[in-house]
Amino acid sequence: MIQTVDTSKKETIMSKPLEILLLDDEPIVGRRLKPALAKMGCNVEVFENPREAVSRIDQKEFDIVVTDIRMDELDGLQVLDYVQKKSPRTKVIMITGYAKMDLAREAMSKGVFDFIAKPFRPEDLRRIIARAAEALGMPVNMTEPGE
Amino acid sequence: MPIIIVSSDSPDREKEIAEKVAEELGYDLLGPPFLTDVASRRQIPPGKFEEALARRPAILRKVTSRQRCFHLACIQAEVLDRFQSDNTVCWGLAAHLYIFNISHVLKVRILSPGNAANEKNRQRKWSMETFGHDETDPSLFDLVINLDQIDSGEAIETIAGAVTYRKFQPMTYSVKCLSDQTLAARARAELVKSMGPLDIQAQDGVVIVLTRAFNWEKRKKTQAIKEAVGNIDGVMHVEVHFQTPLASGGKENAN
Repeated sequence: MIQTVDTSKKETIMSKPLEILLLDDEPIVGRRLKPALAKMGCNVEVFENPREAVSRIDQKEFDIVVTDIRMDELDGLQVLDYVQKKSPRTKVIMITGYAKMDLAREAMSKGVFDFIAKPFRPEDLRRIIARAAEALGMPVNMTEPGE
Repeated sequence: MPIIIVSSDSPDREKEIAEKVAEELGYDLLGPPFLTDVASRRQIPPGKFEEALARRPAILRKVTSRQRCFHLACIQAEVLDRFQSDNTVCWGLAAHLYIFNISHVLKVRILSPGNAANEKNRQRKWSMETFGHDETDPSLFDLVINLDQIDSGEAIETIAGAVTYRKFQPMTYSVKCLSDQTLAARARAELVKSMGPLDIQAQDGVVIVLTRAFNWEKRKKTQAIKEAVGNIDGVMHVEVHFQTPLASGGKENAN
């Protein structure tokens, strides 16, 4: 069973924030998710163009890449392939509005960390990010400041 | 970890392989004995669920068609509910015929040696009549093993190996699909006894029921459905849609 680790009850020592790249050709996705992830203390860079995102991945190693699947020019599976060659430790999370079992299985067999269908709530993605961070040995605090 | 559904043209082989796979992997085993617990909890007379799954012609059945639909709906709801905790090997509950599109469910078909053509035809007829799917169609399964060529020990090794593939691991999407299907199944089990088979979908706690009714009874039917389904654990909202009679065509929303 997938386990969500709520690290808010643990003592966490975060030496540096999680570096996240978020790629989706729908502008509203970045507008909605960036603040939600920033509240966890993550540094989030948002891209709508996959080629620009890949160019940025060339320049910087991200801890987590969250990418849509269906995009023009490059699809999410191609981005996954690129990330894996560039930075094998980076966890890739797929998000898609066209989720089907075959696509999910294909993405998993190619090495995605997780696969989530739109629409989803920001807290759903935050839980996945927290698990990815745990898997990287960089646990994050799920609770927002002031909670 | 994945859920494994073992199905076979031979009930003995199905049981044998399922038990050995569960033992090999340290998984829970879910089979026909489960139906006794379910019947007890739902206050259904013993044997009724087994009767619903029995592979005999309709003319020899001892229950009405609607009663059988109700029993099958209960079985589906209970099996899906059990699948919420994975690491399970399931056999003897026809789960391969009503669980679809859950990527962490591995469906295995075991072909026993010397299965006669008339037996195959009988299985096809039963599965089509009961669930609308042909269980002799290999495309229904992720893995088909022919015991004419592979012995049972090798079959178990093959299944145990396949289950480790990443594509069969649970992910957020597949867990949610299972959760949505479970909710729809619970709603179906609640409604089918009084209303017959209905088209029911669920997503994120919203249950959508598609049914038919004359204009004068739509309000009453909508209320009855919402009352019956609204109390199910996990249901946040119920929508009822009516397929209008052929004369007027289309679909209308009763909400």
